[in-house]
Amino acid sequence: MFVKFPEGASNRTDHDAAADVLYDVVIVGAGIAGAIIAARLSEAGKRVLIIEAGPAEDLTLRGYESYLDRFYSATSKDNQSPYPTSLNAPMPLGTDARRIFPGFPDASAYLVQSGPFATDTTYTRVLGGTTMHWEAKTPRMLPEDFRMRTLYGEGADWPLTYDDLAPCYNEAEREIGVSADVEDQAYLGITFDEHYVFPMKGLPLSYLDQMVAKDVDGMPIALDGEQTLLRVRPFPQGRNGIPNPAYDGGRGYVPRGAVSTYQVEVGGRCQGNNNCVPICPVQAKYNAGKTLAAALRSGRVDLIAQAVAHKVHIDEETGRVREIEYRRYERPDSADWTTVRARARLFVLAANAVENPRLMLASGLRSSSGLMGRNFMDHAYLLAWALLPEVAGTFRGTNCTGGISDLRGGRFRRRQAAFAVDIHNDGWGWARGAPMTDLMDLVDNGGRYGEALRQGLVDRVSRQLQLAFMVEVPADSSNRISVDPAFTDHLGNMRPILSYDIPDYTMRGIAYARQLSKRIFARLGAEDYTNYDPNFWGYATYEGQGYEVRGGNHLAGTHMMGVDPSTSVVDADQRSWDHRNLYMVGGGSLPTVGTSNVTLTIAALCLRSARAMLTQLDTEQAPIRLTADGAVQTQLEEVGA
Amino acid sequence: MTPSTINSRADLISYLDAALALEHATIPPYLTAYYSIHSTANSDAAHIIRVVAVEEMLHLTLVANVLNAVGGSPDLTRPGFVPSYPACLPDGEDDFTVDLRPFSPDAVETFCKIERPRKAPDAGARLVRFGTDKPMLAASPTAEGIRFYSIGEFYEEIVEGIERLAVADPGLFCGDASRQVGPEYFYSGGGTIIPVRDLDSARRALRFVAAQGEGLDSGLYDADGELAHYYRFRQLQFGRYYQQGDDPDWPSGPGLDVDWRRVFNAKVSARLSDYPAGSELAAAAEAFNADYGMFLDLLTRAFNGEPNLLQEAVVFMFRLRDGFNRLLRNPLPGSDGLHAAPTFEVTVPEAVMS
Repeated sequence: MFVKFPEGASNRTDHDAAADVLYDVVIVGAGIAGAIIAARLSEAGKRVLIIEAGPAEDLTLRGYESYLDRFYSATSKDNQSPYPTSLNAPMPLGTDARRIFPGFPDASAYLVQSGPFATDTTYTRVLGGTTMHWEAKTPRMLPEDFRMRTLYGEGADWPLTYDDLAPCYNEAEREIGVSADVEDQAYLGITFDEHYVFPMKGLPLSYLDQMVAKDVDGMPIALDGEQTLLRVRPFPQGRNGIPNPAYDGGRGYVPRGAVSTYQVEVGGRCQGNNNCVPICPVQAKYNAGKTLAAALRSGRVDLIAQAVAHKVHIDEETGRVREIEYRRYERPDSADWTTVRARARLFVLAANAVENPRLMLASGLRSSSGLMGRNFMDHAYLLAWALLPEVAGTFRGTNCTGGISDLRGGRFRRRQAAFAVDIHNDGWGWARGAPMTDLMDLVDNGGRYGEALRQGLVDRVSRQLQLAFMVEVPADSSNRISVDPAFTDHLGNMRPILSYDIPDYTMRGIAYARQLSKRIFARLGAEDYTNYDPNFWGYATYEGQGYEVRGGNHLAGTHMMGVDPSTSVVDADQRSWDHRNLYMVGGGSLPTVGTSNVTLTIAALCLRSARAMLTQLDTEQAPIRLTADGAVQTQLEEVGA
Repeated sequence: MTPSTINSRADLISYLDAALALEHATIPPYLTAYYSIHSTANSDAAHIIRVVAVEEMLHLTLVANVLNAVGGSPDLTRPGFVPSYPACLPDGEDDFTVDLRPFSPDAVETFCKIERPRKAPDAGARLVRFGTDKPMLAASPTAEGIRFYSIGEFYEEIVEGIERLAVADPGLFCGDASRQVGPEYFYSGGGTIIPVRDLDSARRALRFVAAQGEGLDSGLYDADGELAHYYRFRQLQFGRYYQQGDDPDWPSGPGLDVDWRRVFNAKVSARLSDYPAGSELAAAAEAFNADYGMFLDLLTRAFNGEPNLLQEAVVFMFRLRDGFNRLLRNPLPGSDGLHAAPTFEVTVPEAVMS
């Protein structure tokens, strides 16, 4: 079933008129976090305004296909290649990353990097946010990820447990439309409600996964006195598969297809294309446009796009947010803008873990804990690549269908970082640019053409195996987002500055990952081609060994949640300790990033927060009178706290 | 009231065999038009044709389910299953032929005729006598020289036949339930596969097939809010999408762009004999036909107790797509710049037939 986007919804709200409306909630950002909150609050009858930095264009099938065309014709197939870049709402590109030399921050791209470690981490500023380019892996966090400090003396504890969040995980899996089988996903303490099934049946392992599994399944690992047997396990995926008739007590599940302003029938199921990142050709992969469209259909959600939040204004007396000032631009390349303000009872920053603290810090709001922007986390990716002894069908299937999850948890985490391992169905693409680099080599150095070229390419790429170790990064307050008036963008917004180093804890995990990759390759009889280039922008050394370390776009930690206002920025509801009508939501709230891709957990937390927002809205009654057309008639005053 | 032409299980099975051929016969014309569209052009038109083609595949499967339920065995490899294009479809008094055409106003006109809702003026007019020797789809397989007023009437005849037979023969639905294809195998289109076990499910399956195409009684949209095929195609003629509540003559949804020029202008209903003997292009056309024969064999096996094979069919369809592209993107020598296209002169390889 297609997802209807109401025609004209991206442009129907006049920003001047909206400035006179007192909304129940103003949300900054139309990615998955903002879309989920807008959908839930509008369902409950609340009036919502979303302001979004990206282009004010309806989500139409044709618009989506223009993303695809841009991707197909792009020379660099990086994870932002399908999406339009705008001078006024710039976004980091993976191709921006440069080696950083001590004392010389790299300000050549939107994200200023002061190092010492450079990262290629990105996020997407369009309707739907980074879920447009995400890979759609949706593992839950492990119960132990919520208690890292207590269990392992590393990182931080959450103010929530796995069991607290489990009902929201169920709900998030429905919202995203997750395909998985419970029997594959119940491991390392992850539990499910009795009779729970995922909305759709698990997607099959690729042939490559199965080839790897033949030798890896049952491989014994001894680590910190514990014995583990490895197994190639399917990942849960936010991609449409076969609906499970047993879902929802036998009521089943109807997959949500493409977003469109008119009836289309596409996106019902994954077709196994190999470019989930940066864009699914058929929208079988969830993107937040699906949730956003539902929110806009409520008629209670206004959307103003091409609007970049500029400043959060605080009432000095109460500490509450009074309004958010934003800059509205007419065209992606407009040289000027209009300053507009948005007012509401509650405000929600749902930009992401870089843009949320950037906006707060640019507004002079450092949090009384001093932690605004601090504890930046991402996943550190280590790649290892080899050639299998026989053809394994690499490049068939989606980007990634299976991997090794057995070392996501365990006692060893008191010493070194845990990781999940992806088997990449796109071969050495991430590490070395396959298959394009293979093609160029066969032509330039092999003199191949025609049939011989085609066969040569098949021979080379279909034996490629690339393992991606997604290694956890613990919170470290010196890893942070900051701002500096010396660095501003086209609209005069201060740009984010990232200071980032890979903690030793993570480097120990990385070093172990490399050793493990060698053992796995040996077991597979694969020829190890891994070779880390000292000139690589993300080259990091540990105990005399060098590694290429990449970013994961799993941004987290910059407005961490906690139980104590002096050691956290938001509470367990993602509500700001300092500004009680402000919620900062998304990855920034995560105290640990664990070894889960962050989107599912972000969605679960936002579903939870939406309930807290409704409770707050219903208990705080402000004396506000509205005219028939919704304009505010009296001054805005809040009573109660 | 004309006497029924379905009086026995054998009659019914021959009707369902004909229905299977009918549902399939619309797919090559739709796919030819679909793949003739330049890949970055005419998104609206491509999606409209695509969804109809995909839903014809659903109809094919639904008919196979009914056939299996009454003890038949679907055979997509029998000689004559794939018509020789141009072929006739029933359409009231005036015959028209269905060609394999590139996307064009003529093609859309034909598609509208195929899917046009037509209820016979009275029950007696359902059957029409014909005298042509052209290949005829939805002709009565049991009464020679008789065809139906419309596809909708053809299915009404089958439904009424099944109802009568089911009353007379409680064992009519004797098929092996494991041969039924379930809903897990269909996607990217409206509707779902209905496993057929009894009169009720058979009736639902067949009426769904008729209604999804022509919207016989249900108007523009069916109960699930899905637009009937006929009206989907009409949108291309209006240059505008329908939305709920519209009058059939006044679609009021978003506008729709058609660029008739951004199409590979393939020769209409090309034949293998049009291809220069021994040329690479001829080899590609022959390879396509061989692949298509293998594909029909795969479907036949899937419909005869191995429904899991439908997953392999997905990969096979990508191969057929590549085959379409290989031909449609190349000019056919000696045809004044017209491009090549699959000919659908399908012969099932002997190794497969045994």
